[in-house]
Amino acid sequence: MAAGGVFARRGVRLAAGLVAGALALTGCGGGDESGGEGEKITLTVATFSDFGYEPLVKDYMAAHPNVTVKLRVTEFDQHHKQLATRLGAGAGAADIEAVEEGYIPQFRQSKDKFVNLADFGAKDLAKQWLPWKWEQSLADSGNFVMGLGTDMGGLALCYRSDLFSAAGLPVERDKVSALWTSWDEYFAVGDRFVGSGSKAKWFDGVGNIYQAMMNQTPYGYFDTSDAYVGDSNPAVKSAFDKVAAVANKPGMSAKLDPFSQQWNVGFKQGTFATLPCPSWMLGLIKDGSGPENAGKWDIAKIPGNGGNWGGSFLTVPKQGKNAKEAYELAKFLTSPDSEAKIFQNVGSLPSQPETLKNPAVLGFKNEYFSNAPVGEIYAKSGETLQPNYRGTRDADVRPVFGRALARVEQGKQSPADAWTQALSEAGKALGK
Amino acid sequence: MTTTTAVSAVPRRRRRARPAGGRGRPLIYLLLAAVLASSVFPLYWTFVVASSDNSAIGEATPPLVPGGNLMENISRVFESSEFSLALMNSAIVATTVAVGNVFFSALAGFAFARLRFRGRNALLVTVVATMMVPTQLGIIPLYLLTTELGWTGHLQALIVPALVSAFGVFWMRQAVDETVPNELVEAAMMDGCSLVRIFWHVALPGIRPAAAVLGLFTFMGAWNDFFWPLIVLNPENPTVQVALSVLASGYYTDYALMLTGALLGVLPVLAVFLLLARQIVGGIMAGAVKG
Amino acid sequence: MRGRLDRHLTPYLFVAPFFVLFAVFGAYPLLATLWMSLHDWHLINGDGGFTGLANYSELFADPDFWNALVNTLSLFVISTVPQLFIALGLAALLNTKLRGRTFWRAGVLVPNVVSVVAVALVFAQVFGRDFGIVNWLLGLVGLEPIDWPANVWSSHLAIAAIVTWRWTGYNALIYLAAMQAVPNDLYESARLDGASTWKAFWTVTVPMIRPTILFTTVVSTIGGLQLFAEPLLFESKGASTGTGGSDRQYQTITMYLYEKGFTLFDAGSAATIAWVLFLIVAVFALINFAVVRRAVASR
Repeated sequence: MAAGGVFARRGVRLAAGLVAGALALTGCGGGDESGGEGEKITLTVATFSDFGYEPLVKDYMAAHPNVTVKLRVTEFDQHHKQLATRLGAGAGAADIEAVEEGYIPQFRQSKDKFVNLADFGAKDLAKQWLPWKWEQSLADSGNFVMGLGTDMGGLALCYRSDLFSAAGLPVERDKVSALWTSWDEYFAVGDRFVGSGSKAKWFDGVGNIYQAMMNQTPYGYFDTSDAYVGDSNPAVKSAFDKVAAVANKPGMSAKLDPFSQQWNVGFKQGTFATLPCPSWMLGLIKDGSGPENAGKWDIAKIPGNGGNWGGSFLTVPKQGKNAKEAYELAKFLTSPDSEAKIFQNVGSLPSQPETLKNPAVLGFKNEYFSNAPVGEIYAKSGETLQPNYRGTRDADVRPVFGRALARVEQGKQSPADAWTQALSEAGKALGK
Repeated sequence: MTTTTAVSAVPRRRRRARPAGGRGRPLIYLLLAAVLASSVFPLYWTFVVASSDNSAIGEATPPLVPGGNLMENISRVFESSEFSLALMNSAIVATTVAVGNVFFSALAGFAFARLRFRGRNALLVTVVATMMVPTQLGIIPLYLLTTELGWTGHLQALIVPALVSAFGVFWMRQAVDETVPNELVEAAMMDGCSLVRIFWHVALPGIRPAAAVLGLFTFMGAWNDFFWPLIVLNPENPTVQVALSVLASGYYTDYALMLTGALLGVLPVLAVFLLLARQIVGGIMAGAVKG
Repeated sequence: MRGRLDRHLTPYLFVAPFFVLFAVFGAYPLLATLWMSLHDWHLINGDGGFTGLANYSELFADPDFWNALVNTLSLFVISTVPQLFIALGLAALLNTKLRGRTFWRAGVLVPNVVSVVAVALVFAQVFGRDFGIVNWLLGLVGLEPIDWPANVWSSHLAIAAIVTWRWTGYNALIYLAAMQAVPNDLYESARLDGASTWKAFWTVTVPMIRPTILFTTVVSTIGGLQLFAEPLLFESKGASTGTGGSDRQYQTITMYLYEKGFTLFDAGSAATIAWVLFLIVAVFALINFAVVRRAVASR
């Protein structure tokens, strides 16, 4: 059942026996109880940030006295790498494991390690989510349900109204949204901004812009039948060219890696005027910019279509002993009621139409961002967006194109050379 | 009893050298002060950020003056992770690993340096060869193994594999070679002492300083190790480095919180180090790896 | 009778703990890794079939591997060589009569104690492009700011600086230990011969501590070829993939291993890299070892 050839497996046993014998260690095993009806069981939920589950779990345990729920929080990257290792080893994973959208395709390759939630009737819940969110969790042409959706990251565009005003651009969010319907127009406004002589750059870096553009396409490097189309899909080439054209253009890009320390400094120093911002990024912008920049940021519509970046799913690894109970808990944690509470507690944007119409969500305004009606902005963005399909080997090629644009941004390569190198690297990564 | 006479029969090491100073003295202090400043700056800076609010990190130049949020950040660290458990776990792991490693290394080092047995050279070469094994190499099989043993999530997954190290054996062999005279060991053997007694009463006193240094290095290494603990432990039973990863969790990083954790994680090591500094530094002196 | 048994058996008992534990937690993973490297092995899904040496031939045909090898050697040379020289000099300074010796000696070991997280953040500030300290200093003398991670040479220099910063004090203390054991009369006779302090250092100190120098060389070689933590923390947080920059300009072999195994879940390729790295380190260490043996024998 677990990974490992016969040889390796036997080797492990032998070595394990050796140690156990040599050191006479006894009874240090995990000691998970089997979960019969009414028997006491413990369920572990592993996430990579504050999912806002603490109060919900308390309610759940009160309603299910035989269930103890433990929460496990680890750093984002570490969480997913640890999950991979533990799935590979066949032990050690939590009963419920959160998987972020970007990692879903990679784990889809290993769906046999997960419980098919359809076996517990997950398909009946489908209507609960926005259609694209539901589809992201499916495999086997819809027969396999890998996880239940948690939050989402609807896209918007954050901008510094003080810098806009100094550059003679409109500052009011509806007027700003009206400045661009397409990315071309967005970059054209960027030219005006740069022309005004502002010291700030137009956007933070190519990484975020390209990510946002790719997330607006129906499919990117792989078509919906999972065939590689990175070299032929016009949407990829067009997004790449548009971003490459401005990557090293004076005044356009602040050339900062998203999430880097320098990027944080950039917020505080007002190094750039705009950036695409999924809902979960607002806290980060606020923290990075600090109280002295309160009221300077505002939120407008993203150029192009609606889009999504981020959001997670709750999965149930097969190795757990209490799959059915884990599913029930996951169902509870992702119910519309729970998602509304989570939004109020920690601000994660719900991925469910019903919850998005909840007045508490719709009416939510963010004081730091000039009182922007963020609930409404993101709800709209989430409802209108197109599903974005990611192939199972997306993680092998996506970074390749990102690095190509970074090379253009750093002035190391021309857009054409970067594109050529990206194609050959992607081909190599896929073994072509 | 014979042992003591044998000890005094061996000439003690000659007085330690102190190459002449005198001229250029201020320059030496100036150079050392510069080295010290650059060595300690990141630690100081950790303290500065730990005592500020999170937005301090966004300043164009690093903030140089501590803020007033240290206490608040400390209590946040203890709220957001199992930090006191982490400190205790790290202390247990690092201490056990250091003591065990020193003991086993000293045993093997003594055998390699002073005892004659079949296959000694071949085994010694094997020890040196094992130093070349990259640590990241066997993570996956090692994880399978700890899973099979049921150690995942438990401290013995960190302790047992680290109880021996080729570096330690190599280091202790050199130390024995340097500080435990062969004549002494042979004399004790003539007297019919068992090897265990010889190790305990003849070898151990001589290599104690070198052992202290190895202990310190091993302790520091075990305390700061993060690659393996992050894979094999869980946040509910963490070491300090695992708890730091919990503090770093989330879509964005709360640097003030993280560096407060880092500071709290460093302080115990620093305290141990400063308390022992005199002996340890003296120990390095005496336990020199000399040819 | 009992004594003979003791003489013959006890030495093996003394070395047994090391070998038993190493066999289980060192050799077994090593062999299992060898096994994995002969298979198409997915980190999660496990064995995808025996492929013989295909992983190896793929690796040797992979320009990214050679790139990582060159980077590793370059970083190894520019961080290890200056590091050992500076450590030697620092040890010489610490070996003079000093007020507050303990204080100075403890101070140089601090970089090795500070958490990697803090080190990463501080050096991000030091080598920042827009607001970094180094670029600010360059600006004072009228030089253009440098995008440190962007280029091969600049990223290597920056990483070498971090490595040197972290490990110089550690090596200096080992040298200092050896220097303290150099008999004083050797210096006295050198002085009688009219040698300056500088000359005495090269004619007395360095030859006397040569075995220690070689010891640190062996250990630093092994550590340097496995360089991982410092270049990884040089990557920005959003991209901790082990790729080592937009053009892999500072990807080391262990980072490449990490990228394959833990970012792309290709455990078979990662195991192959691990074994090739093992062999490379072995060759370097054997060269070192031969030198050590000769040096020790020549004494």
